[in-house]
Amino acid sequence: MKDYTKGKRPEMLEPFLPNELLRHLIVSCFLIILEMVAIMVFPLPWKIFNKPDHIPWFLLPLYQLRTLMQNEVVFISAVVLSALLFIAWPFLVCDRKYRMSSLRNAEDRNSNHAWHGKELHNLWYRPVLFTIVISTIIFLITLCFIKT
Amino acid sequence: MTNEIWNQGIVRELIETNITRRLIPRGLSWFGCMGGLSLVAFIIQLGTGIFLMFYFIPSATEAVASIQKVSHSIPYGWLVHRIHAVGPHVMIGMVLSHMLRILFKGIYRHPRELHWVSGACLLILTLIMYYTGYLLSAVNRSSHSAIPMTFVYALHIAGIPLAMGLFMGMHFFMVRKTGIYEPL
Repeated sequence: MKDYTKGKRPEMLEPFLPNELLRHLIVSCFLIILEMVAIMVFPLPWKIFNKPDHIPWFLLPLYQLRTLMQNEVVFISAVVLSALLFIAWPFLVCDRKYRMSSLRNAEDRNSNHAWHGKELHNLWYRPVLFTIVISTIIFLITLCFIKT
Repeated sequence: MTNEIWNQGIVRELIETNITRRLIPRGLSWFGCMGGLSLVAFIIQLGTGIFLMFYFIPSATEAVASIQKVSHSIPYGWLVHRIHAVGPHVMIGMVLSHMLRILFKGIYRHPRELHWVSGACLLILTLIMYYTGYLLSAVNRSSHSAIPMTFVYALHIAGIPLAMGLFMGMHFFMVRKTGIYEPL
């Protein structure tokens, strides 16, 4: 198990019990409330998307893609390729510069340098990756609104 | 036997090191609980699914009657059935929020690449799980379906949950090994 006390001053730590456990209990209560509200509200009385009733909101982009792509082989290949790209994402975007900053971060955990290392990994600071991710999200959302 | 184990201090040490004396970094984000919430949503689905298993009959002729029995004759059966039907929407919402946080904060980087891989597989399995669940209810509605109901049912209650359990075990083991994303 990872030891968080290494190289840290006592004021940088807090007890797991009760702090973290209580935090999880509070959010779990919110989840249960959310589920109860969802039970009362679902299925929604209004239609946001133009879709058949049996297609859930999270499968809508796939459904629209299926209707847009007439060829079944192309559709399945596109879905499998997208799934593989999605799974292999950390290995595809691995960059030596960022890998080095990650290693420095591990060595020098409490310094300002480590903070900069963490910032570099944030997607906001990597314009190409940020553009790819945002374009994909916009593409998926747009697919939901296309009338086929 | 239990007292012996307790006196030897194995259980006590386990509890102390993992819960009561465990220290974690201060200032963890509330959004960091999304992964835990996904697990809670999965446990709710598992609990309600086990309850429904006692009454559901995976046969084209008896499935509809068995679900109607749960909804109308069993105390709070309608509630359990509704939770099991609506729960996946909440669960997938939680998993997607967890994934987006990891993606935008770049937490998937070295040494946590395999956390992402196991998490992505879990998301795909969750979607397949929903789809098999949907097929079960669709087969309910149309008795002349091409897919055998017992096959879909076996996938829904055993095949996919087992695969999910395996990936969850991997995911939690790796989180334990490399630790959570620490704020500075």
